[in-house]
Amino acid sequence: MADAVENKKNIAEGVPTVTLTIDGRETTVPKGTTVLMAARGLGIHIPTFCWHPKLKPMGSCRMCYVEIEKMPKLQVSCALEAMDGMVVLTDSDLVKRGRRAIIEFILMNHPLDCPTCDKGGECDLQDQTFAHGVDDSRFDFQKYRFTEGTEGSTFDDLRIGPEIVLNRNRCILCYKCVRANKEAFGEYDLGAYERGNIMEIHRAPGRQVDNPFSGNLVEICPVGALTNTDWRYKIRVWLTQTTSSICPFSSSGVNTLLYKDDHQQKIFRTTSRPNDDIDDGWLADVTRYGYQIATSPDRLQTPLIKKDGQQVPATWKEALEIINKRLNEIKDKKGRVCIGGIVSPSLDNATLHSFSKLIRVTLGSNNIDYRTQYRMLPKEPENVYDAMSARSFKISDIDDSDVIVAFGSDLVKEHPNEYLRIRKACNFHSASVYSVNPYRVKSADVARREMIYKVGTEEVFLNGLCLAAIEAGMAEGGDLKEKISPSTAAEAAAICGVDAEHLKELAAAMANGRKVTFIAGELVSRSRERLCISSALANLTRLLGLENKGQVSILPHYANSFGAGKLGLLPQPPEGIRNALTELWGAWPEAEPLTTDGMLINMKKEEVNGCIALGCNPVMLYPDREFARESLEKLDFLLVADLYETETTGLADVVLPLASWAEYDGRYINLEGRVQRANRALKPRFESKPGYEIVEAIAEQIGDKLYESSDQCEQEISRLVESSNVQPLPDKYFDVRPAEEESDEEYPIALFVGDDPHHSGHLTEKANSLFNFCGEAYIEMSSELAKKLDLKEGDSARVESKVGKIIVPVRISTTINNDVVFIPRNFSSTTVTALLMRKKRTDRVKISKVVN
Amino acid sequence: MSFYSPVRTNAAEVAKSDRLHLFKYVEDPQQANIDTFVAHGGYVAWRKALTSMKPDEVREEVKNAGLRGRGGAGFPTGIKWGFIPQASTKPRYLVCNADESEPGTCKDRVIMERDPHAMLEGMAVASFAIGCHLMFVYIRGEFGHCIDVVNRAVEEGYAQGYFGKNIFDTGYDLDVIVHSGGGAYICGEETALLNSLEGHKGMSRIRPPFPAVEGLYACPTIVNNVESLASVPHIINRGSDWYKSLGTEKSCGSKIFSLSGHVKQPGNYEVELGYNLKDFIYSPEYGGGILGDKKLKGVIPGGSSTPFLKPEDIDVGLDYESLTTVGSMLGSGAVIVFHEDTCIVWTIMKLIHFYRHESCGKCTPCREGTGWLERMITAIEHGRGRPGDVEKIESVCENIMGRTICPLGDAAVMPIQSAIKNWRDEWQYHIDHGKCQVKTNTEFV
Ligand SMILES: Cc1cc2nc3c(=O)[nH]c(=O)nc-3n(C[C@H](O)[C@H](O)[C@H](O)COP(=O)(O)O)c2cc1C
Ligand code: SF4
Ligand code: SF4
Ligand code: FES
Repeated sequence: MADAVENKKNIAEGVPTVTLTIDGRETTVPKGTTVLMAARGLGIHIPTFCWHPKLKPMGSCRMCYVEIEKMPKLQVSCALEAMDGMVVLTDSDLVKRGRRAIIEFILMNHPLDCPTCDKGGECDLQDQTFAHGVDDSRFDFQKYRFTEGTEGSTFDDLRIGPEIVLNRNRCILCYKCVRANKEAFGEYDLGAYERGNIMEIHRAPGRQVDNPFSGNLVEICPVGALTNTDWRYKIRVWLTQTTSSICPFSSSGVNTLLYKDDHQQKIFRTTSRPNDDIDDGWLADVTRYGYQIATSPDRLQTPLIKKDGQQVPATWKEALEIINKRLNEIKDKKGRVCIGGIVSPSLDNATLHSFSKLIRVTLGSNNIDYRTQYRMLPKEPENVYDAMSARSFKISDIDDSDVIVAFGSDLVKEHPNEYLRIRKACNFHSASVYSVNPYRVKSADVARREMIYKVGTEEVFLNGLCLAAIEAGMAEGGDLKEKISPSTAAEAAAICGVDAEHLKELAAAMANGRKVTFIAGELVSRSRERLCISSALANLTRLLGLENKGQVSILPHYANSFGAGKLGLLPQPPEGIRNALTELWGAWPEAEPLTTDGMLINMKKEEVNGCIALGCNPVMLYPDREFARESLEKLDFLLVADLYETETTGLADVVLPLASWAEYDGRYINLEGRVQRANRALKPRFESKPGYEIVEAIAEQIGDKLYESSDQCEQEISRLVESSNVQPLPDKYFDVRPAEEESDEEYPIALFVGDDPHHSGHLTEKANSLFNFCGEAYIEMSSELAKKLDLKEGDSARVESKVGKIIVPVRISTTINNDVVFIPRNFSSTTVTALLMRKKRTDRVKISKVVN
Repeated sequence: MSFYSPVRTNAAEVAKSDRLHLFKYVEDPQQANIDTFVAHGGYVAWRKALTSMKPDEVREEVKNAGLRGRGGAGFPTGIKWGFIPQASTKPRYLVCNADESEPGTCKDRVIMERDPHAMLEGMAVASFAIGCHLMFVYIRGEFGHCIDVVNRAVEEGYAQGYFGKNIFDTGYDLDVIVHSGGGAYICGEETALLNSLEGHKGMSRIRPPFPAVEGLYACPTIVNNVESLASVPHIINRGSDWYKSLGTEKSCGSKIFSLSGHVKQPGNYEVELGYNLKDFIYSPEYGGGILGDKKLKGVIPGGSSTPFLKPEDIDVGLDYESLTTVGSMLGSGAVIVFHEDTCIVWTIMKLIHFYRHESCGKCTPCREGTGWLERMITAIEHGRGRPGDVEKIESVCENIMGRTICPLGDAAVMPIQSAIKNWRDEWQYHIDHGKCQVKTNTEFV
């Protein structure tokens, strides 16, 4: 009875409940709860194989039997809804016999090769056989053995994907892999073939299991039927230790566990650390295999200094002395404005904040920016953009949103974790999803409607939505209509090339939705017109009152992008942050601030002469490669800290080896504003140091110790994080007058650049596993376009823009539309940024076949 | 095309009867043509239901008639129709289960081949009763000829305005889709059928949700057997009271029984429910006695999924209740007769081979258990049985029975359990002597 009272307290008011008795204990649970979950709530563990907390129950393994009073047959608790007055027994003789029979059936054809199986020690089948099975088998026939396709390998192993090995004999056919693939990820590269007792899990004919979530299949396999190559035969699980961490490759802050050896020399794998508020226990492959960037042998080993035009290894002492000398020279000669600092938004709070203090206080410059991948940043502060990209947003609020709009975002590539949440909202709550993009994307597979607007018409589309809502009387527009153009929804639809009815349908869905989630992505934040688009989005948000019944956000992209904004690593941080920083530091530089863009221009003009680049690689990722290179080459002094030698370190006077996120304790702020900690798993490799140590060492060398202790730095950060609340949107509509962009006949095809689904930024190509999924750039195009250009899969294509040309192999995509192409930017061997122009809104190219 | 499967029926007797009705025109070679069908009173019930009745009146009528599902489970048809959630705004579907694959059963095939409009008319009435505007016939893939005949009948029906838009000017629309089955016994199980119809692999789904609530494409769906549906127009035409007067008190109406095995006159015969099984086997109108006038060994009364009856138990009514009292079931109504020369182990080996092969593989007990049983039983049949094997088989059966997702698991073990119970000494003989007691008769199967 005590339990029932206890449980009832935790159930939200108004939720219908049922009360049942399990093993003599009464419990009250929300209606719809399964008997399995009700039992777990009481701490009663019912064994399972095929059940997974985030998938619909399948009820197939039959391990979770319970006995229910008045029901003659055993019932499967994972699929049985708890009912009022039910009397459940989870450990009766009948239940025990039932479970024992299941174990016996499963073990019949199981090879029991535990000594050579990598799952040994963490295998559900082992554990449950010990707990519920018997130690003898009544099955006295030869076991069935799958050998087909294994080429006589002793262990019947079959490689079914770049990183996955399948052993069908160990498989217990719980179907979790196939179900997760289909249900949770929307992928069909793995299936169950044949039927009955010769049913086998296998890759789909002609396919590889290489979807961007494929690693999860291994993690959820209860036995060693699916293993991944990074872990196989390397170590036994009981010889490892785990460290809690978070994913450094995306802004969601997905929670992870790193498995390391006792000596903290090596990480063996990453698994999930399920956090239902964030990730539901799913990891994208880039999160799972990305740890290999820390353990790659290519890591920078020592500082490098330039001697006679050559970079040569040096000690930290030598390097720091040179840094001090050169920075002072510049400062003496030209003053403080001549130094700039650019930094990666994937770095932790302490590094970012101390870097900010180094630039602003020690060096007295105002030139600091974390946005090294955005084009044409305006000089003025971007209040609307800043506001729209730091709204209050909760990942778990996607779950029960009934209308979800993904706007200007190739979700699988940018926000895989949120894509999975959206799928979940569809699967479990039948949410209506709208995918709105300038080209067709994979994530639209769950969309009720996919809308493709003409390249470069984001703000027109959003204005169109406002107009459609006003015209249909769904919202009071006030003076909005006078502030935006065009003047009717129909005109807007025509300009965007979308069906006016569809525009109306979406406006109505948002106006009538009970809870709306609106996600805007990189196609907004990286656009030259992001200010204008943000204004249009702010108008729409206000018009439809979206924030009163949901959430709207331009989602930040990198692990700590949100933190970098909150900590003010911008040339002109929002008023509140600037005031807080001035108060903390007692000073604020006078100098006129420069954005990344402004710094590069001034470098070219030789008005900025020194630059510190922390963890970033503008030569590879700034959307105008030659411009970035030429600018950086003009510098008197360039200091770069990174994990590897990169295009940018190649230009540096001093290169410092930076520790990876796994090598120190760091805090990161995810896209919801949640501060999370990644713990140190490894000793810093070679002579590398964490970012904040590097910054502190430079400051100290200059003679200005930043902090007496790390606590002091943390305190400042806490103050900043606490003081900067979500800014309310101004109580007015913005002018949004879209400008038309001239097109160019000679370069007819729009080019989109982003991350490959298995990569993020410039480091992941060093992760062996991720490299195995995708190791070189490609150009993705529709088969129709390829046909028009006389290209086939695998052909070399010459891609030319006004400023550059690259040659990349062709990849045919089944989703992308005919007038656009996509090239990933993660590969140093082919830098697509060579084609981009910083002043253009839309990148356009022409493509031809390379004939050898 | 006038191709008939050469099956004996009792059409002549039915034609004379005022009570039997399903087989009345089944020997008329023209009956598959719509004009003949209409001339024989076809589509009258459809017109009557649509133009003069309300859907709930149709449901009530069928419920009162006491019609029970002829696909195997015997669930009252009218009650099933009532499970459609009335508040749901989703589309509703009717699916006719024409996947007839239960060993011994071949009644639906005769209806489809010879009187396809009877099934279609029943489907139309049922659709109207549940508010469905798109109905499906899922026909066993191997029944190529049935698929052709039904397709032609559907075309005729559309051409004459029995299907399509605005039927009988009532504004009611109804479309028909004929689907060729996925080629597995399990696709006859209603939830596996729905998966197969949706284009997935034919594997059963867990219930709840029941198809009536969440079936095809997650919409309310009613799945009914061909024969169940073909009975519906007769109820509409002649009233539930008339239908109820047929058969026994709880097993109303008439039913087609497929008689096979060691009888002189195998065939499909329509009789009223409750007809005596012994008479059915021996009377000259039907079975005409045991082949070669041998002694009877046993009978499976309701398709291969039902338990065996021993000769002393066959003086029993062919209805849902009576067969239960002697430990078997009516099932799909396939009476399979075995004479004295039948080796029971051999017979069971054939059956378990079928069920092992047809297990969809979703749930552990059926998937693994049928495989194990097949191997043990085959070993016994081949003289490699060992002491204790029979008990082991019984124990494995126990671990399957009632523990699976769909009834295929039960179906696989019920004949085995009854065969051991009834003829344990024969099993023991196989094990002790490595050979059979009786002359194996391979004429059967
Ligand atoms: C393994 C299995 C096979 C079945 N095969 C058929 C079949 O071939 N035809 C059929 O009508 N019902 C079959 N059923 C029964 C259906 O699941 C379902 O109960 C029936 O179609 C309902 O129709 P009714 O209520 O009209 O009988 C089968 C059931 C099982 C478990
Ligand atoms: S491979 Fe693993 S997860 Fe997939 S069905 Fe087999 S045991 Fe289950
Ligand atoms: S009982 Fe057999 S056929 Fe039915 S779901 Fe289970 S494995 Fe499939
Ligand atoms: S866990 Fe319930 S049936 Fe598998």
